[in-house]
Amino acid sequence: MLNRIEMLFAEARDLTLNRLQNGNLVIEVAYIATLCDESKVSDFILVPFAKQEIPFEDAVKRNPSFKRLDDPAKWAETILHGFVLLQLNGVVYKLDVARIIRNENPQTMVETVIMGPQIALSEDLIDSVNIIRSRYPSEELSVEERTIGTISKTRLLLVFDKHRVDANVLSSIREKLERISDPIFTATGELVRSLGDRYRLFPSMMVTERPDRVCTGIEDGKVILLLQGSMFAIVLPSTFFDFMHAVDDSYDSFWMTRAMIVLRYFAALLTITLPALYVAIMSYNPELFRVQLTFSISGSRSAVPYPSFVEVFIMLFMIESLIEASVRLPKYIGSTATTVGGLILGQAAQQAGLVSSIMIIVTSVVAISNFVIPVNNMSTAIRFLKYPLIIPAIFFGISGVALGMFCYLIYLSDLRSFGKPYFRLFGRTQLQSGDIGQVNQE
Amino acid sequence: MNRYFYYNIVLVSLLNLMLFVPYLLIQHRYEGSIMSMACAAIVGSILALLFTHVMKTYPGKGLPEILTLFFPKFLAVPFMLGCAFMWLTAASIVLYTYSVLINRFFNPDTSSIIVLTFMACVCLYGATRSMFTVIVVMEVILVVCTPFILFVLFKAVRSPLLDWDAIRTVAHYWNRLPKVKPFASSLFVFTGYMNFFMFNRLNSPNFRIRFRWFIPVFGSLILITSFFVPIGFHGTDGSADYLYIWSVTSDSLVMSYGFIERVIFVFLLLYLMLSLMFATIGWHLAMELVKSCLPQPKKPVDPAKTPRSNWVIVCVFVVMTITYAYTFNEKQNLEITSYWIVLRACVEIASVLFLFALSLAGSGKRKRLET
Repeated sequence: MLNRIEMLFAEARDLTLNRLQNGNLVIEVAYIATLCDESKVSDFILVPFAKQEIPFEDAVKRNPSFKRLDDPAKWAETILHGFVLLQLNGVVYKLDVARIIRNENPQTMVETVIMGPQIALSEDLIDSVNIIRSRYPSEELSVEERTIGTISKTRLLLVFDKHRVDANVLSSIREKLERISDPIFTATGELVRSLGDRYRLFPSMMVTERPDRVCTGIEDGKVILLLQGSMFAIVLPSTFFDFMHAVDDSYDSFWMTRAMIVLRYFAALLTITLPALYVAIMSYNPELFRVQLTFSISGSRSAVPYPSFVEVFIMLFMIESLIEASVRLPKYIGSTATTVGGLILGQAAQQAGLVSSIMIIVTSVVAISNFVIPVNNMSTAIRFLKYPLIIPAIFFGISGVALGMFCYLIYLSDLRSFGKPYFRLFGRTQLQSGDIGQVNQE
Repeated sequence: MNRYFYYNIVLVSLLNLMLFVPYLLIQHRYEGSIMSMACAAIVGSILALLFTHVMKTYPGKGLPEILTLFFPKFLAVPFMLGCAFMWLTAASIVLYTYSVLINRFFNPDTSSIIVLTFMACVCLYGATRSMFTVIVVMEVILVVCTPFILFVLFKAVRSPLLDWDAIRTVAHYWNRLPKVKPFASSLFVFTGYMNFFMFNRLNSPNFRIRFRWFIPVFGSLILITSFFVPIGFHGTDGSADYLYIWSVTSDSLVMSYGFIERVIFVFLLLYLMLSLMFATIGWHLAMELVKSCLPQPKKPVDPAKTPRSNWVIVCVFVVMTITYAYTFNEKQNLEITSYWIVLRACVEIASVLFLFALSLAGSGKRKRLET
C-alpha cells in the first residue's frame, strides 16, 4: 500500500508513511501529518499496537471507528480528507483523525440581531450540524452528504426535514448538484453561482450564517446546503419576500416589525429609483413637483455646469467607491475613510459647484436605504439595479423610469427559485390543490 | 383562485379611459348614453354570468381546448384567429393612445413613434413570458396601483369644483332610447372576464367562482364615475370638447399637501402602468391563441424556457402596432377605435353566447354519460 500511495502523491514532506512491526504482526500506516491530529493516531493505532494488551487485530475489528476501505482508487482522496489509512493483514482500514482549524464559536457578524441567537454557524460541518440539530431536535431531520468540486472534493451536506420538504425541489437540487463540474469550491457564493444564479439580477438562494434562519427554513420545508470550510449556509428555495424579512421580525413587537417591513420595501423602492428620478425630474419633467420645490431644486443646481446624469454618475461613483473602500480597508482605518469621504468630500463637492446639494441628499438616501435591506446578497443585488434604470431616464424622462420599473416587475415575477414563483404576492401559505397553474403541470 | 378572475375585471374596467369610452359616451350624452349604460350593465353582467358557467363546465381549458372538443381544427382556427385579432387590436390601440398621451403631457419633444417603440419593446418582453408570470405581474400592478386610482377618483368625487347641477342636468336625459355606439363602448367596462377565455387554463378543477355580484356593482360604479365626473368638472357642453377627457379632468384636481401638486402626473403614471399591463396581457393572450393554431403539442402553462415562437409572434405584433401608428394619425385612430369598439361588442356577445351553447351541450353530454 505504501509504495502505491507514495506514487500517487507529489513530493510532500508532511506525507507520513510508516511500516511498523511488533512480533509477527506488520502494519502499514499512511496519513498526512499536517491534516491530522497526531495524538489520535498514537492513541488509536501506535500505542495499542505497541502494547498489545489485547490483540491488535481484535482491537481494530471491535472498534467501529475503523472502517474497511476496499477500493484503492479512494485512497488518495480519503487521506486528503484527514483520514489515516491502516493496512493490517492485507485489509485496508480508514480512521477519521482530522484536525480542522476553524473559528471557535463564532459570533454573527454579517447579519446581526438585537435579541436572538448570537452564535453563528461554524466553518466545520460537524459543529454546524450540532448547532442545527440542537435547535431542531426532530427525528425527521435528514442529513445527506456528498462532495463537490473536481479538485477540492469539498464535503457538502444537504439538511432538510424529510416530511416537510418539497420532493420536486429536492430532486431538482440533487440533479443540479450532479451536474456541477467546477474544480474548486471555497465559499458558498461559488456554489450559489454554480447552482444557477450566475446571471440573475436577484439572488434566488439565501446565504446566511444564522442558525435560527436555517431552522425556520427547515421548518418551512426548505433545503439547507452546508459547505465544509464556510460558515454560511445556503437556504433554498427562497422568495423575494424572504430576503426582505429580518429574523428580528419574529422576535420583536408585532406592530413595529410590520412597520419596519413596510419601511424596507419603501427603502428598496427609493434606492432603486431615486437616481433615475433625479435625472428624469431635473432634465425632463421639472413640472412634476410643486413649484416651490422645483425652484429650490433647480436653484441648488444652478452652479452645476453639466447635465444632471453626469452629476448622478459622479456622485454614484463616489459613494460606491466609498462603500467598497470601507469594506476592503482594515477595520481600524475604515471609519476614517467614511468620515473623510462622506462628510468632507460631499460638503466640498457641493460648495465647489460640482454637484448640487440635492444630489448629495439623493446619494446618501440611496446609500442608507440600501443598507436597510436585511440580507446581504439581496442588498448587493439591489445596489446594482439603480444603474440600468438611469438609462431610460436619460432618454425618456419620468415615463422611462416607469417603463423600467415595469420591466423589473416582469423580470422579478418571471424568476423561479427551484420551480417556486419568486415574486408572488400572498404566495406564502397556499394550498396546492386550489391554486392557479396546477392543472397542466402534471 | 377567485382573486385572479376579479383582477382581470378590475383592470379592464379601469382601462376604459384609454379606449375613449368616456369620450364616446359624452358625445352622446343627450342622445341616450345613460340608457345605453344601463343596458350595457345588464347585458355585460349577464354575459359575464353566462361565461362563468362556461368556466365551470370546462375547468382548466382555454378557448382552443374547448373548441377542439367540438370542431375539427380548420373550423376552430378562424374563430381563434378572430379572437386573437380582437385582443391584439385592443392592446395596440391602448399602447398607441398612451404613446400620444406621453407625447402630450410628459415629453412634448419626443416623437410619439419612438416612445411607442420603447413601450412596445417593454410589452414584447412582458408578453413573451409564461401565462403564470403574466398573471402574477398583473396582481402586483393592481395591488399597487388600484388604491391610488381609487384615491384619485375619491378626490374627484369629493372635490368642491364638481358641479352637481351639470350632472343632474345630463341625468335628466335618462329616458332617451339607447344607441349602438354608447352601448358598445360601455359594454367594454364589463368585459374583463373575457381574458379568462385563455387564463382559464390556469384554473384547477375544483375552481368555484364566488362573489359574482362584484362584476355588475364594480363595473357600474366605474362606468358612472367615468361618465359623470368629467361632466361635473367641465360642464354639460364643455366636456364634449376634450378628447383625453380624463387626463384633463385629473388636471383639475390639486393635492395641496404633497410633493406633487398636480394630480395629473400621479394619474398618468398609474395609468401608464395599467396600460402597459393591459397591452402585455392582450398581446400575451393573442400570442397564445395564435400559438394554439400552430400544429404542435400542448405546452405547459409555466415552461422553464421561453419558446422561440413567443418571440416571433409578438415581434410581428410589435411591427403591426408601429405600422398602425405610422399610418394613422390621432383623429383616424379615434375614428377607428369608435368602429372597433362596436365590432368588439358584437364579437363579445356572439362568442360568449356561442361558448355558452357549447358548454350547455358539453354538460348535457356529460349528464348523458353519467346516466
